[in-house]
Amino acid sequence: MAWPNIFGRGTLFSRFSHHHVVVFLLTFFSYSLLHASRKTFSNVKVSISEQWTPSAFNTSVELPVEIWSSNHLFPSAEDATLFLGTLDTIFLFSYAVGLFISGIVGDRLNLRWVLSFGMCSSALVVFVFGTLTEWLHFYNQWLYCCLWIVNGLLQSTGWPCVVAIMGNWFGKAGRGVVFGLWSACASVGNILGACLASSVLQYGYEYAFLVTASVQFAGGIVIFFGLLVSPEEIGLSSIEAEANFEEDSHRPLINGAENEDDYEPNYSVQEDSAVTQVKAISFYQACCLPGVIPYSLAYACLKLVNYSFFFWLPFYLSNNFGWKEAEADKLSIWYDVGGIIGGTLQGFISDILQKRAPVLALSLLLAVGSLIGYSRSPDDKSINALLMTVTGFFIGGPSNMISSAISADLGRQELIQGSSEALATVTGIVDGTGSIGAAVGQYLVSLIRDKLGWMWVFYFFILMTSCTILFISPLIVREIFYLVRRRQTHILSE
Amino acid sequence: MAPGGLPRLAGLARWAAALLLALGVARAPALPEVCVRCPGSVRRWSRVALFCERTPARSLRARCCLDPEGAVLGLDLQNCSLKDLGPDFPQAHTAVIIDLQANPLQGDLASTFRGFTQLQTLVLPQDVRCPGGINAWDTVTSYTDNQICQGQRNLCNTTGHLEMCPENGVCVPDGPGLMQCVCADGFHGYKCMRQGWFSLLTFFGILGSTTLSVSVLLWGTQRRKAETS
Repeated sequence: MAWPNIFGRGTLFSRFSHHHVVVFLLTFFSYSLLHASRKTFSNVKVSISEQWTPSAFNTSVELPVEIWSSNHLFPSAEDATLFLGTLDTIFLFSYAVGLFISGIVGDRLNLRWVLSFGMCSSALVVFVFGTLTEWLHFYNQWLYCCLWIVNGLLQSTGWPCVVAIMGNWFGKAGRGVVFGLWSACASVGNILGACLASSVLQYGYEYAFLVTASVQFAGGIVIFFGLLVSPEEIGLSSIEAEANFEEDSHRPLINGAENEDDYEPNYSVQEDSAVTQVKAISFYQACCLPGVIPYSLAYACLKLVNYSFFFWLPFYLSNNFGWKEAEADKLSIWYDVGGIIGGTLQGFISDILQKRAPVLALSLLLAVGSLIGYSRSPDDKSINALLMTVTGFFIGGPSNMISSAISADLGRQELIQGSSEALATVTGIVDGTGSIGAAVGQYLVSLIRDKLGWMWVFYFFILMTSCTILFISPLIVREIFYLVRRRQTHILSE
Repeated sequence: MAPGGLPRLAGLARWAAALLLALGVARAPALPEVCVRCPGSVRRWSRVALFCERTPARSLRARCCLDPEGAVLGLDLQNCSLKDLGPDFPQAHTAVIIDLQANPLQGDLASTFRGFTQLQTLVLPQDVRCPGGINAWDTVTSYTDNQICQGQRNLCNTTGHLEMCPENGVCVPDGPGLMQCVCADGFHGYKCMRQGWFSLLTFFGILGSTTLSVSVLLWGTQRRKAETS
């Protein structure tokens, strides 16, 4: 009995209709496509900075100006790289701000419209940024900055919407493992973006943007015509109603105190007629929901570490070990692999425990150890890849879990159920705070690396991971206390 | 008759005249200005004349030897009192033979001959050095009243190092002693970074039809029964 419904009756998978599968795939690929267009940008950076600068080649041979040095947006490739880094930072900040806004918007308007609009419009912006400016040979720094700010804002509609839709379809039981698998979408998007970009890069970087933007636009259209935002849309009962019914009938022995966290109290008949439009929660109310602030702050620290790995790992590898850039790029995929496995496995364990914070805490403690281990990695590719996977498992895993499964838990907790829409808003708050952390982190990491060296970057990561544990410690204490209590009552009841 | 009849007829006549003129021009191309830089015509028995008479299709006009398309193959500007070669000189960039002897030419000629890739024989006044220096030519012969630079060398091949041009670039001769980097075969665009052409039609064809069919399929299986709120 302590092992809940997940495998006991095999309900987790048998309960899923083809609608669930389609929703899973559509949300998965819509976010993948959004991430793919971001990855395209980082993969064509070399080509773009070549396009923006005159040739620096030194030769006695005449270099005709129109072929080799007619573009003078930046005097050298270093300046162009610096500007591209600035664009990254600008994007992260506007993305973070956008997350807060689009979460609120998503809960008030139709999630499908918001998601579809976000995908199509950001695809258009990417098209203008990368393709149109090149076709017209119009290169302007301010235009690029403005377009990238707008792109950040529009891209931010993606995550809160897809998490909210997934939260609508997949209930708390089994949410950990489903979301764990599902949060591979970012990594799949990275791989997709890298493949798309590299396959057309020979025709010119503008086609890399054109292809990813077009595919993303097409994805937006498909979402508009094919996505069901919630089971209620086709007259199915909502997941809470279902879960409530099942738990009611299968778990008769409930200690009153236990209700507190995992067990939804009986709520009114409102849920059965949930088709009626429910009122959205205010931003302030969403912030005050229990767990939102601690998890947001924790995620800010954790996403900082996670994104630093994402952005700096290839650079660190080629810089510290002298490995080739393409090789380092390929090797850094192992971090993602570790993150996906970690997220799924930890989600699965947390489903069994019905508590997520203790799993996070354990994983983060081990993450500190793995960071120390990774910072002392020998100059050997296979050992490094292994350590990288382990680090990804313990850092990427919890990071995926907070941004998806836990956000969905928070947005669907009992306090607001049935009375309001909060999922997208809460997801926006958690991920928005996280993205601010990530944006600040990018700056701090480059600063620390310049002033103190790579070793201190790792110390900084360890500090940030510890901060994550600190922020969620009240929840850990409470949930462990609850687990012990449940075990005791369980023993007593048998 | 319509009032506009007469002007229309006149317009037609003018148009026909223009057409005839155009045809005439096509038959006898306009003489490049460089050929009349100096009065007179190519002297008989001069090097340029001998070169031109070797093939019947070539014709001598003013100071030039022209091929049937009107491109300059030979240029004889000897004894023209030229101090410099003037702005029209690049018109002769297709020339195989150029005779400039008996002119008080001044300054360095190196960049004047940029683009003269066909040039094989250049006759200069005695005191003027061959453009590109002695290494740019197979033989340089000095006579009492002139100097002959013979056989233009391709320096791209002779200098030996392959890394003369940036990535995707290739070295090609650009006149005596001159080289330039252009895009290697198959490459194009700024800094020769692009290779091949992207087929927009195929891409959007496939993407469009896929999108349409997936949308229709999902609409049918998913959203058809959805209650629109």
